[in-house]
Amino acid sequence: MYKRYKWIVPATFLFLPVTVYLAFVIIPTLNSLFYSFTDWAGYGADFDLIWLDNFARIFTDRLFSNAIKNTATWLALAMSVPTLAGLCLALALQGKNAVNTAYKSLFYLPIALSPIIVGIIWVWIYSPQLGIVNLTLKAIGQEHLARAWLANPDTALIAVFVAWAWQQTGLNMVIFLAGLTSVPVPLVEAARVDGANYWQTLRRVTIPMLRPATVVVMALTAINALKSFEVIWVMTKGGPFNSSDTLAVFMYSESFRKYKMGYGSSIAVVLFLMTLIIIVLYFRQTAAAEELYD
Amino acid sequence: MIKRRLAISIIPILVTLFAVTPTFAQGEALAGDFTVSHYFGGFGGEFIEEIVDGFVAENPGLNREESPVDHEQFKTSILVQLAGGNPPDTFSYWAGARIQFIVDGDRLQPIDDVWTENDLGSMFPQAVIDTGLTYNGQIYAVPLTLHWVGMFYNTALFEQVGAGVPQTWDELVEVAERFKEAGIPAFSLGSRERWPAQFWFDMILLRTAGNDYRNRLMNGEASYTDPEVVRAFSLWKELVDAEYFHPDANAYDYIQSADFVANGEAAMTLMGTWIGGHYTSDLGMVPGEDYDYFAFPIIDEGVPHASLGPVDTFVVSKEAANSDAAKAFLVYLTDPEVQLAFADGAGNLAPSLMADTSGYDPVKQRIAEEIARDPVFAYNYDLATPPPVAEVGLNAFSEFMARPGNFEALLERVQQDAAAEFADLN
Amino acid sequence: MIRVGSGKVGKPIKWSYLLGRTVLFIVLTALLIVFMLPVYGVIVTSFKSVAEVSTSGYWNLPQSLNLANFIKVLNPDDGNLGLYLKNSLLLTIPASVFSIALGTLAGYGLAKYSFNGNAALFVFMVAGMFLPPQIALIPIFRLMNDIGLYDTLWAVIIIHTAFGIPICTLIMRNFFYTVPNALREAALIDGANDYGIFVRIMLPLTRPALAVLATLQFTWIWNDFLWPFILTQRADSRTVMVGILNLTGQYSVDWGGQAAASFVASLPTLVIFIFFQRYFIRGLTVGAVKG
Repeated sequence: MYKRYKWIVPATFLFLPVTVYLAFVIIPTLNSLFYSFTDWAGYGADFDLIWLDNFARIFTDRLFSNAIKNTATWLALAMSVPTLAGLCLALALQGKNAVNTAYKSLFYLPIALSPIIVGIIWVWIYSPQLGIVNLTLKAIGQEHLARAWLANPDTALIAVFVAWAWQQTGLNMVIFLAGLTSVPVPLVEAARVDGANYWQTLRRVTIPMLRPATVVVMALTAINALKSFEVIWVMTKGGPFNSSDTLAVFMYSESFRKYKMGYGSSIAVVLFLMTLIIIVLYFRQTAAAEELYD
Repeated sequence: MIKRRLAISIIPILVTLFAVTPTFAQGEALAGDFTVSHYFGGFGGEFIEEIVDGFVAENPGLNREESPVDHEQFKTSILVQLAGGNPPDTFSYWAGARIQFIVDGDRLQPIDDVWTENDLGSMFPQAVIDTGLTYNGQIYAVPLTLHWVGMFYNTALFEQVGAGVPQTWDELVEVAERFKEAGIPAFSLGSRERWPAQFWFDMILLRTAGNDYRNRLMNGEASYTDPEVVRAFSLWKELVDAEYFHPDANAYDYIQSADFVANGEAAMTLMGTWIGGHYTSDLGMVPGEDYDYFAFPIIDEGVPHASLGPVDTFVVSKEAANSDAAKAFLVYLTDPEVQLAFADGAGNLAPSLMADTSGYDPVKQRIAEEIARDPVFAYNYDLATPPPVAEVGLNAFSEFMARPGNFEALLERVQQDAAAEFADLN
Repeated sequence: MIRVGSGKVGKPIKWSYLLGRTVLFIVLTALLIVFMLPVYGVIVTSFKSVAEVSTSGYWNLPQSLNLANFIKVLNPDDGNLGLYLKNSLLLTIPASVFSIALGTLAGYGLAKYSFNGNAALFVFMVAGMFLPPQIALIPIFRLMNDIGLYDTLWAVIIIHTAFGIPICTLIMRNFFYTVPNALREAALIDGANDYGIFVRIMLPLTRPALAVLATLQFTWIWNDFLWPFILTQRADSRTVMVGILNLTGQYSVDWGGQAAASFVASLPTLVIFIFFQRYFIRGLTVGAVKG
């Protein structure tokens, strides 16, 4: 008897969280999917169902392909730069001593800041006349390299990315550090006794053992990169003239600046599908990783 | 500053005592929550607050809720509120295509009833009523302030290089060249938020193709690849190519670029009258002495002279919870004293014909005459063309400032995108 | 560097090793200085007036520890950050508590009971962590209007509670997973029921996990901009991140004011960071690495 109804007890635990989650996360998201089939402008009461027209339009929209290209650039940079930087920092700061602990905290500090604040700060850093970047270039006699980083269509996206990576690096470092604690010391020592030098040990033992941490870092970075919006919005609003539009920013400006909520929703759906791919890959990878190390 | 604030706090009281009492105050007393939303977040915000205070003081039954929002953020937040069906009772909005847009979306209610009861039609210039307040045949808004776009310049710098006020395009180029020789950029433009760049396109087009052509372009009846538009961009390009502009326009916002003029790093900026509010209130500059203005020079003889600028209005939401209070507030805003109080603080002009302009500073007095003299009052680009199209154009203007080279190709793209947006709207 | 301390293997310390360590230390320090420049910039600028910024620039030390900018941004007639800070607290604390409470319930249900679809439900609950929140913006806005919570802090509290459930469920589920089942079985034999076990035996054990989540959620909710921006309107319900972005328009050329506002708004999360860093890091890693 008890066995047959064994879902009753867990259901009492799960009922409230699942209900709140459904009502305020899942249903609104599905609702948005519905709008992506309409031409709703966002403020008027009426709209028409136009089914897949928005999606057909997406693929001919120059600005959409521009946003895809920028998102791809952003994603590629995100997967490499802050990831490698985080790994190097973690390897360098491994081990417990006062200096390491202090340095770790400081490298990690930006993660405590709001993206809004990060954006505000970095706008000053790039200020053409008084920003530290151009001042430094001037001081070392490279004034010809100085430019209006955020106003220049060739540099705006990269400049915003650096601000974002500033925050992301510390997060990656922390995850790699946690991963390093699970690298068995005897294994490393054995390799050293066998005559392997630091770099060989790193390549053959440490890095392979960091695989689960790497998977986590990659997945988190990819998802954070796809979601990143606030820093870009504060720093450039996707400009100048769409040169720093990523999908998230493009979706927002189509919806709220051009008043095309239906079209914006269809961009959101594309963004969601891209995220979904990463989630699926992530869960498959972690499953594989768990099997490997269990 | 403090003096002015004191003066402004007294004004509502005076108004209460002496002004013609609005219709609603005589009838049933207004009560309940009353929400006002506006975009005068920076300077100007405090003056609006005084006005709302004055209105609520007259109607003690009201529980006032007011929320200033940053200009740029307002454009998003008000839309979201209209979308959600829980808008403020009344809010500030820009006359022209933007009001038209939400009138067409059925989000505003007409105010013809209070308009006629209070005979407001006699209080404003007919041109403002026709183009700024009337949509689809009904009155939807009352104007609070009038702005005017002109060239604001640093008088000391003009004296320094011995430049006079240019009346024609050639003279403008001559003055710019003189500044260039002196090592000072003639024009300061801060188009980080994009819109300041539109004034250059607007003014050149108005001075060459004229207002009628421009109206057709704004309505989607003309094309961005027309010779008229190409000519306007060519003229603009002359100035950019000659390096008369302060570098990196897209890196600065309009206040930063206006400050370049104030501190002598550039000679002049094409901007709205609100910049006078910044110069006097924030920087303590004396109008007519430290800074002055001139109207954008004539380019083609015979084109009817046009003034350009936005008109700030207040409108009533269709789903306003307290329509009565909102309408009464709009009537209150038409009081000449209220209009003057706000114009005084924020550096703008009172649209009311009844307003006594003798208190204006000399710069504003001349601007008021300028507006009265011009046969045309046009709204700036992002208020003249529907918002989705304006997005296309605004991006194009800042692209032009960064890459003026092949603007014909740029205009072709603009035309394609604009045509697509116009098609969506119908 | 790897923790094969050189001494352990019995070899003498090599000069090359010491040299390597020194070079590494210098490189790291240089890197750290570059890394900390933005933070340094905010702190020094927050003490400068507009005039001082224009004469001495943003990056020089201030002439004096002038608090005028801080007074200005906190002044109700000017920056009004005091009110916004209070609103942020009134929002962040309940939202953190509710999301953690719900996550604890869900995590326990998922970790300690096997039922059909347990794994699927777990993935479903955690998947929300990856949703770009912009997707649901408009529907949530309409929903909050319909239930009359628009423009109240409650609207934001509910949304942060709901969007916090995935991460809280993930971490609590993984935590309860590590609690030996024997503990529960022993209590069952002693005649305790499921709810008694949860309240009396399990909950007291969760303190470290709760500390982890509390720091995480507090930081994220405090720092969030999008939801309070969309769901509130009046100054009375405005949070500090929304307020600060408003101020950057108002203080366009007043970088000192912007810096002071940024500094004040970041203070609570920085304090949390400094005092509870251990938990914070655990939260980001335990939840993630084991996921």
